[in-house]
This record gives sequence, structure tokens and C-alpha cells, in this order.
Amino acid sequence: MKFTTLDQLKAWLNSLTAEYDLVTPRDVDGKVLYRQVASADEILFDYERPDLSAKDYFFPATEVLLRAEQQGSQVTQEEVLPDRKQVIFGMRPCDAHGAAAIDALFLEQDPVDAYYRHHRERTTLVGLACPQMWEGCFCTSVGGAPDDATHLDVLLREVEGGYAIEAVTEKGETILKGLTLEERGGEAPESAPDAEEILVAAPEKWRPLFEDKIWMRHGERCLSCRICTYVCPACRCFDVVDRVTGVREGVTHIERIRVWDACTSPNYRRAAGGHNSRPTKPARLRNRFYCKFCYYPEDFGPLGCVGCGRCVVSCPVDIDIREVMQEVAKAE
Amino acid sequence: MNESITAEIRDKARELFENEQVDCVIGYEASARDGARPVFIYDAADVDRLVWNEHCIHNLVTYLHDKKKSQKRGEDPPRVAVVVKPCDSRAVNVLLAEQQIARERVYVIGVACEGMKEAEGESQERCVRCADRMPVIYDVLIGNPPIVDPPPEVYADLAAVEALPPTERLAFWLHQFDRCIRCYACRQVCPGCYCTTCMFERDDGLWIDAGIELGQKHMFHLGRALHLAGRCVECNECERVCPMELPLSLLNRMLTREVEELFEHRAGREEKLSPLLFELGEEGSPL
Repeated sequence: MKFTTLDQLKAWLNSLTAEYDLVTPRDVDGKVLYRQVASADEILFDYERPDLSAKDYFFPATEVLLRAEQQGSQVTQEEVLPDRKQVIFGMRPCDAHGAAAIDALFLEQDPVDAYYRHHRERTTLVGLACPQMWEGCFCTSVGGAPDDATHLDVLLREVEGGYAIEAVTEKGETILKGLTLEERGGEAPESAPDAEEILVAAPEKWRPLFEDKIWMRHGERCLSCRICTYVCPACRCFDVVDRVTGVREGVTHIERIRVWDACTSPNYRRAAGGHNSRPTKPARLRNRFYCKFCYYPEDFGPLGCVGCGRCVVSCPVDIDIREVMQEVAKAE
Repeated sequence: MNESITAEIRDKARELFENEQVDCVIGYEASARDGARPVFIYDAADVDRLVWNEHCIHNLVTYLHDKKKSQKRGEDPPRVAVVVKPCDSRAVNVLLAEQQIARERVYVIGVACEGMKEAEGESQERCVRCADRMPVIYDVLIGNPPIVDPPPEVYADLAAVEALPPTERLAFWLHQFDRCIRCYACRQVCPGCYCTTCMFERDDGLWIDAGIELGQKHMFHLGRALHLAGRCVECNECERVCPMELPLSLLNRMLTREVEELFEHRAGREEKLSPLLFELGEEGSPL
């Protein structure tokens, strides 16, 4: 196996900052969040599962799509895309898996989402395997693993004295060029997938349960907040709105922004004229689960869930996706 | 103690169904993860799902808003029983004063409270601060006044923030709001936040647009706190549900203290409107 020490790793990461924006897990007031850092000294190397996914860095919560200026009948528009390269270091495999799930809609379907593609192309994913599964995790039940390299460009595993390192893609090999690697005997240890197996029912199993009591039972206590969708690495709904950012010297400055949206939110399905086709909490919660395990796999291929467990641990009223999955799988 | 309260809640729920006094009982059921979670019971056969334990942290009064409308056209709205702790019971008073619920359609099952704990076993901060162990409004009262330690100085943590010079205080809050993801959990869980269209979520972006950026978060949190002045019942659910652990209660408690000092009003102790809300009269009322 290829091996590097922590000091070498830090030196390499620092050297990357000349060319790349460096995004890594950080301790932010007790929360572990992916954040852009100026130096490798700010990186948290010992962490469990970051409290939010990394999707903000290729599918930003708020993204300016274009800027426009209007003066009288004259309108000029300017497209806005960041041009710096970006490396996400310490990404957990489930978060990369989530990116792959989003790719199925934004990249693998026509039309391709140009903004999303731009971010994905400028970003290199350097993962750090989870040594174990954490509270609420069930990645192994939905096609992932705590040390799954599949959707990463580089995978690191913590070993005695440093890290075992493996380039997964060409992009990964390119970025590793500046890192001092040693050859060490033996294989990198595999993580222990030690979580209980959660049954994943096929879409055909879900369809007849649309009117089942399950949705009322779990949906009624739902708060209609957006926690589960915003912490999810695979949720990808958005809204596009225009906003006036200022009027200066007769020129109106306008931005078109894309912002995260959430199907759990009461207004999500409200149409012109005020009709809401998902007016109740159970109807909205049902949609969230059907999207992940029925509609999304049928329409785009992958599941809309990577088993990171964030929605499980962050729901204030204990709506547990694993419990729902089990109930659906075991339904008569 | 918990067993006997559980039994009394179940007996009361069964009786309410058997006498056809209510259509639904909102209470707590056992949860493997959190110890307890909200449950909606519609049938006497299901009352044994109801439990009472030290993890009944949720303020169930917020769910009464889902029961205000009739389920079918032409029918009356459902009659609901709700299990409340002392803090939750104050929200019932606020909703009554604000004419959100009709007293005869809500059956209040009040339960004495020793303070609630997180699933990990830690006492909720709000419960350490709390001196109210008995509900202020109820149709049936379950449990006896518990003997607990008197609360410490309630506003000590607030004083530390208030001691900061204004620029540093602003920096403190912007630093906190920066973590916010605008998930609206604080608003959604709040029994006092029931506007059909939140002013911070208007399509026309009159106050703030849909961006999930610091400016919008700042406006949202300060605006929400102000809208709850004299209305916040200090159940502290907003702070509990926040996935980013924003210290939201500091804002609410500051306003609670101000309103109490200025108007001698503490939300929900009685069925009384916040002095900061008023009805527009024929003459002399400001518009």
C-alpha cells in the first residue's frame, strides 16, 4: 500500500491552497462542518460524520446564476461561475455517494445542469474512510460502505503512523503528484461495517403502499421543517428566484439565484392560484420517502438515499428513515 | 412515578374515547432512539401506546394548529385532547387568548413535571431553569407537585452576552447565525409561529429573499424573536430542535425579561394577549 505521514499530508494540503480552494471538516462551535480553510492546521482529522453533508460545495445552498443590470429598456446579463479549482479533503464516502446520486439527475440526463457540472468538474474529492459506522449510519444497506472508494477521486485510510492512500481516478492521480508517498508492505485495513442491515424494498413494493397508514403514523408528527432534506447528501431540490440587489444611479442590479428547496416544506407544491397538491404533513413526508426509494431509482437509476444517517439523528421528532424502510419492506 | 402517570394518561384517554369526548389524543409514545416521541391516537384500542417518561420533551401544543380545520367540508373541526407539561400548558393559554383554538374543542391533560432529559440522560437546560412544575391550565391534572432544586439565576447566561459592547455583541450573533441553515425547524416547532405565510417566506421577498445567506438569517432570527415578544412561553423547543445548536433562547429570554419588566406580563401564565399585540379600535388606535 501507498503510505504517507500526517506531516507530509499537511504539507501537501498546504501546497494545494495555491491552486485550489481547500474544503475540509472543521470544528465550528462544536459542530463538525465542511468549511473552506486557509491552512491544513485548521483541519479536523479526528471526526465522526460531519453534521452537514458536503453538497453545499457543488450544489450551493445559495448560488448566483447570473447578474443583470437594467437601465431603461437596456438589459445586460452576465453569467457568474467561480473559476477556482476546489478540493474537498476528508470527505466521507457517503457524501461522495450522495454526489453520485445527484449526478444521475444533473449530469446523466439531458439537459445537463451546467452550473452543477462546472462545480463537479472543478472539484476533486479526497475521501477519508470511516473507521467504523456511526450512530444512525446504514450505508452498507444502500450500496455503500464506510471505506467505499467508488465515488471518490482519492481514498485515505487511517493506519498506524499515518494514512494509506489510494488514487481512484485520473483526477486523483493528478492531484496526488505533489504528495510524498512511501511503499509499505501489507494491505490497508478495511473498515468494519458493523451496522444492522436495513431492508431496501424495490419500487414495486412501495407503489401499492401509497395509501397505507404508515404515512399518517409517521407523517403526523412531522414538523414540516427542512432539516432532513438540508442535511441529506442526496436531496437536490431547488428553487430559482430573482432578486433586486440595489438601485444605483438609475441602474437596477438584479441577481438570479438558485436556492435549496425542500419537499417537506408546506409551500413546496403550491402552484399559481394557491392550490397545493401536497397540503398535509403525511403527504409531504410520504413524498420524501417515495422520491428516495421509488421515483428517483425508477426515473434516474440510483437510490436517493446513501445511508449517512444524518436525517435519523437530526430529526427533532424521531422520524427514522430506517424504521420506515423496514415497515415498507415488511408490509404485507 | 412514570408508570402511574402513564397508566393515568391511558385511562383518561380511554375514557375520553369511550365517552366520545374527543376524536384524537395527542400524547407521547415510546421511542427507541429518543425515549419518547409525539403520537396521535384516534381509537381507544390504541391508548396503550401512550407513555410518560423523562424524555417527553416535545411541546405537543404546536400540533393543535393542524387540528384547527375540519377534516371534511361541513363537519366541525376535530375535538382534541393534548398532553401538556407546565411549559406547554402556557402555550395553550396563548393560543386561547389569540383565538387560535376553541376551549371546548381542546381537552387538556396536564401532567406535573420534574424536568425532562435528553435521550443521553442530560437534563434539558430549560428544565434546570424552570420553576414551574404544575400546568397552569388543564381539564385533568395528573401527578403531584414534585420536589426539585430551586432554579439558579435564570438570566446569568444572558447577562454575559449583554455585557459585551454592541459591536462585539453583533459579532457574536452574526457568528452564531452564520451556522444557521434556514431549515425553519425553530419556526415550525413553535406553537406561537402559526402564520399561514411567514413574512420571511413571502414569494415577493418583501423583507428577505430566499437566499440562505447571513443577511437573511440575521433578519429571520431577529424578526422571529420580536414577533414572539410577550408571546414566547419559554418552552425552548426552538433551541432544542436547532440542528446547528444556535443559542436562540437568549433572544427570546431577553425579550421575555423586557416585556415582564415593562408590562408585568409573562406569556401564558394567564389567558391573556401579549401587551405588544392590540386590537384596532374605532378611535385612537394607532395603525
